[in-house]
Amino acid sequence: MDGRAIYAISKKEFMDNWRNKWIIAVSAIFLLLTLVISYFGSMGAGGVGWRDIDATIVGMITLVTLLVPIIGLMLGYATIVGEKEKGSLELMLSYPVERIEILTGKLFGLGAVMAAATFIGFGVAGIIIALNVKGVQWGNYMVFVLASILLGFVFISIAMLFSAIFKKRSAAMGGAVFLWFLFEMIWNVVIAGVLTAQYGIEKLTDPNFMAPSWYYVASLINPVKAYSALVSLSISSVNELAGNIPSFVNVPFSLAILLSWMAGTFALTWYIFNKKDL
Amino acid sequence: MGIVEIKGLTKDYEGVRAVDNLSLEIEKGEIFALLGPNGAGKTTTIKSMLGLIFPTAGEIKINGFDVLKEGKKAKENIGYLPERVAFYDNLTAIQTMEFYAELRGADRKECIELLMDVGLDGEMDKKVGNYSKGMMQRLGLAQAMIGNPSLLILDEPTGGLDPRGSWQIRQKIKELNENGTTIFLSSHILSEVQEVSSRVAILNHGKLIEVDTLDNLGKKLDLQPTLVIELQRPSQSILSRVKQVKGVDSAELSGNVIKVRCNPRVKTNIINAIEDEGGKILDFRTVEPSLEEVFLKFTEDD
Repeated sequence: MDGRAIYAISKKEFMDNWRNKWIIAVSAIFLLLTLVISYFGSMGAGGVGWRDIDATIVGMITLVTLLVPIIGLMLGYATIVGEKEKGSLELMLSYPVERIEILTGKLFGLGAVMAAATFIGFGVAGIIIALNVKGVQWGNYMVFVLASILLGFVFISIAMLFSAIFKKRSAAMGGAVFLWFLFEMIWNVVIAGVLTAQYGIEKLTDPNFMAPSWYYVASLINPVKAYSALVSLSISSVNELAGNIPSFVNVPFSLAILLSWMAGTFALTWYIFNKKDL
Repeated sequence: MGIVEIKGLTKDYEGVRAVDNLSLEIEKGEIFALLGPNGAGKTTTIKSMLGLIFPTAGEIKINGFDVLKEGKKAKENIGYLPERVAFYDNLTAIQTMEFYAELRGADRKECIELLMDVGLDGEMDKKVGNYSKGMMQRLGLAQAMIGNPSLLILDEPTGGLDPRGSWQIRQKIKELNENGTTIFLSSHILSEVQEVSSRVAILNHGKLIEVDTLDNLGKKLDLQPTLVIELQRPSQSILSRVKQVKGVDSAELSGNVIKVRCNPRVKTNIINAIEDEGGKILDFRTVEPSLEEVFLKFTEDD
């Protein structure tokens, strides 16, 4: 592996994708939604007004779990199959670069686009909130922003795997859309279904019901859930709300799940891409 | 030791043999042409040389380095122009060149020079997404020359270009070769190869049919073009006069047209002979022997 080639490819990916107007749109959407949630989030509790960062973060988690995976998947799904269809991938590989360097460069470059959009969107929003409330917990906000970027990397890596497997761009796009539904909906529905089948509706609605450990593990393996847990549990005031959950549902475990998704899918992408005829 | 050594290259695609036990050696300083109809296995051979695909059997060395085992070293000194050039739509030409220069570890300063060299002076800061096909081909050639590689691999370099464009490319190939670059090119058009290359390999259905210098191939194959000359008032006397011209193999008259098989260098002599005999030429064209004829010739010999 050679840093020079990885850097060149990362930079190329960043420049090629950064100029897509929708990335700028993503930053703007992050900025606007953060401000809206911070200002209007307390409407139900009587009146509007700026809420502090922690309360804003809690409101943002669901939004991030919906938006960041979409952005990650969109950035990554075509990065290999699209370049192969066009023909630019074979030209790049005719240069003295290794396939692992191409993959690493792509992950970093696309991740940087994601990170830049997140930093700009959430950063500007954070500053605006900070000007309006007292005692800003910047540490917590930083954890939230970094965790959101990590979630983005996870989904870019998953999308790259699809991009390496499929022979057609359209198929990889279909795969990406399916993944989004899988992690946002299907996953939760399936394990909730299994839980219901095991215990019956009546027991589940009992306020004293404790779900079994497998349910928490199965739920947390979903990277979207691991992200929510990571952010919620990292922020103390939210942590108190967490209630009766098993002790293994904690920050290191959630972080480990996210990192494993990224490393695991990346390794698998490498394995597949390394044997592929281009 | 050749700059390129291909030994027993075989590649199967889902049961179809694209290249069958191909062995070639290319010497430093040659212009080597791989000639064959579409689907003969030319692109598969080139992709194997660059480590883009994994051969079913055989090995390829470039500058003494195995392409698969020591890919980075093998590819350090190769410039490649693919059959279908494609870049990144949102990058400008100069950014594109700088990207490839960084990959090759070459000086970024030469990017501007190379773009000027291929005639893209005024278009450097335009996004490649807005480039025309001809401009893309020029940019393709410019990136292949980054770092002054010792071997240039050109897959159908004149494919899809107008006659002027392909003439320019051929001039460029000759110029680069004179400066010491070894050229490996593929083509399905015999006449284009004839003009530039020193040695030719003929490939059909993945098999190497013949590899030799052009002169030797010409002798073996009788690869002479046919002149088709349309006359206003043809006559037997004109025909017999044409037959007497040195370098003419045969000539026949059908209707208003005389067909002459000859050495291409005596074209002018033939025209002069016709005009001396009082003939008036209405139309004149040269028909190159097609590759299909070449293959037919070889299968006849077998």
